[in-house]
Amino acid sequence: MPDMVSLDRAGPQQRQFNPYSDNGGTILAIAGADFSVIAGDTRQSEGYNIQTRYAPKVFKLTDKAVLAVNGFAADGNMFVKRVRQRLEWYRHAHAKDMPLRAIARLIQTMLYGRRFFPYYVYNILGGIEEDGSGAVYSFDPVGSYERESCRAAGAAQSLVQPFLDNQIYFKNQTAAPGTTHPKHLPLQEVLSLVIDSFTSATERHIEASVGDGLEMYVVLARGSQLQGLENVPNVQEMTTTSDGERIFIIRRELKKD
Amino acid sequence: MSIMEYNGGSVIAMVGKDCVAIASDLRLGNQALGISSNFQKIFPVTDRIYLGLPGLATDVTTLRELFRYRVNMYTIKEERDIEPETFAHLVSSTLYERRFGPFFIEPVMAGMSKTPSGGYKPFIAATDLIGCLNFAKDFVVAGTASSKLYGVAEGLWEPDLEPEDLFETISQTMLNAVDRDAYSGWGVIVHVMTKDKVITRTLKGRMD
Amino acid sequence: MFLTRSEYDRGVNTFSPEGRLFQVEYAIEAIKLGSTTIGIKTPEGVIIAVEKRVQSPLLESSSIEKIMEIDSHLGCAMSGLIADARTMIDHARVTAQNHSFTYDEKIKVESVTQAVCDLALRFGESVHDEDAMMSRPFGVALLIAGVDELGPQLFHTDPSGTFVRYNAKAIGSGSEAAQAELQDKWHSKMTLQEAQILTLRVLKQVMEEKLDHNNVQVAQVTPTKGFEILDETKLKSVIDLM
Repeated sequence: MPDMVSLDRAGPQQRQFNPYSDNGGTILAIAGADFSVIAGDTRQSEGYNIQTRYAPKVFKLTDKAVLAVNGFAADGNMFVKRVRQRLEWYRHAHAKDMPLRAIARLIQTMLYGRRFFPYYVYNILGGIEEDGSGAVYSFDPVGSYERESCRAAGAAQSLVQPFLDNQIYFKNQTAAPGTTHPKHLPLQEVLSLVIDSFTSATERHIEASVGDGLEMYVVLARGSQLQGLENVPNVQEMTTTSDGERIFIIRRELKKD
Repeated sequence: MSIMEYNGGSVIAMVGKDCVAIASDLRLGNQALGISSNFQKIFPVTDRIYLGLPGLATDVTTLRELFRYRVNMYTIKEERDIEPETFAHLVSSTLYERRFGPFFIEPVMAGMSKTPSGGYKPFIAATDLIGCLNFAKDFVVAGTASSKLYGVAEGLWEPDLEPEDLFETISQTMLNAVDRDAYSGWGVIVHVMTKDKVITRTLKGRMD
Repeated sequence: MFLTRSEYDRGVNTFSPEGRLFQVEYAIEAIKLGSTTIGIKTPEGVIIAVEKRVQSPLLESSSIEKIMEIDSHLGCAMSGLIADARTMIDHARVTAQNHSFTYDEKIKVESVTQAVCDLALRFGESVHDEDAMMSRPFGVALLIAGVDELGPQLFHTDPSGTFVRYNAKAIGSGSEAAQAELQDKWHSKMTLQEAQILTLRVLKQVMEEKLDHNNVQVAQVTPTKGFEILDETKLKSVIDLM
């Protein structure tokens, strides 16, 4: 009987499991006229705790498509796995590599398919379109997407995006009389902006969840020149075929504090 | 809802070569609703000190009056203008008086301070809402667009900018940062201070 | 024909000792009873044409529908049991729509053809927790015409689920004579108009009635305008040119 009384007093209890966490980091992609750069830092953290200094967030999908995934790392890695699986199924069913805009739409349907238990990730897809132009697609976690020429996402999005607005879209800048702003920047300038963006984010991000390493993927359109890539230190080609688009990866160190 | 975002607004100050600049947006809001597009947040303290007060609008007014009073008292007693470093400590201690019931303001200040040799050198500082001082050598930011300001400023700022270049840098930083902030914007005001003058310019910005 | 009947006729999915599926073979025979249907591929697009057998003067010939749209870039002509074709066309349409929904691109002609053929051998006893299937093979053959990134294409499917790509193909009751004529007349540089005229000429040769705009139906798939069934005026003008 005394036990019953104490049970009564306990009242209702609630327990909950939170299936998500935020693993920090930042990703960024910029489209050029005939190339696309997709970059991400390699730190993976939870709160102020660094889980690893090298966990890639940027993945080569095909010879013309690269996907950057940021947010909850477990969801991100699983999502990339599933996209790759769908890409292979598509190759078997239709005897061709999936075009970039088809990958973009596929990602939307896959994300929206989990509308009520979403992949907790922001995706940025970069690569070369069927017409040979450089392209960037950005997504929210439930599949809303848009083709843009530049996008940052993740922990330092708020630091990097307005900088890109200014330097890529020339926002708040007036062209000199009789001139216009270029629609696309050359590869060398884009790479400098990407490196600047990540060093800035590493320097100033409050929770220090950006840093350690930087991986930049460069996708070049079929038949386009190297555009100075040959002189970039630490560049490595990842292309599997001799014709068609070419993919390179450039690795840089970022501050580790 | 954070009280720091109730009215919105942002301020930034930057150091240049023998000059400083301070800029703010002109928006006063009531959460998402825009109320005024000419709400000043930067005030002259002396000929060589400007003070920016981003945060809760009622405290902007209160602190402006409080600092006017305290600086006047200082000037009368000392029979000289207050130096920027001294003023920064006045700001700090004034805010710390309200350690457990603070003003919801993160002040930013910019000025030219006297050197022993009789020249002037640029000075900027900022504090949090309870007066913790931050004397930066490059730039300081505060307000609802602070993270955006950090990002752009870190990318655009470089040492030893001449007054006109410093004006361009701080203007571009401010405009592009507030365009990505829903609580800041609606025009920008910039003050560039050299040893002998202050140039104030009001910039047109996006009104959305 | 009836002499070869045996116990292997009974199970739709049972091989005969010679390794044949009789029901499937009979289904292919059923096509030969259907009305003549012709498809011709040219570099400018694909033409498909069917004979509409108007058995009674009281029949509204416009209600006979033997050419159907699958998607804006895909058309289909049929011969055999038309009702069976509806099931297949429905599946093809759903497949094509699902593809553009999921991939934001037009499905390839070969891919829809494959999807339709996947249905062909899904007859017999249904397996546990699987959708109800057909109890017998489809009694229809299709000519699937379309244009995709590989250009204009024409596919033929039969009840065995086999599909083959053709430059020109005839199916149905008059197919043997028609195919011989196509083999004689088809060349790789045909214009669309030449192909329109050829389909009608071949149909005319194998039809019992006199060919007019009421007893034939012609459609085309072109890279620019996609699938379209020729309306009465267009059809009449081709008939006049013939």
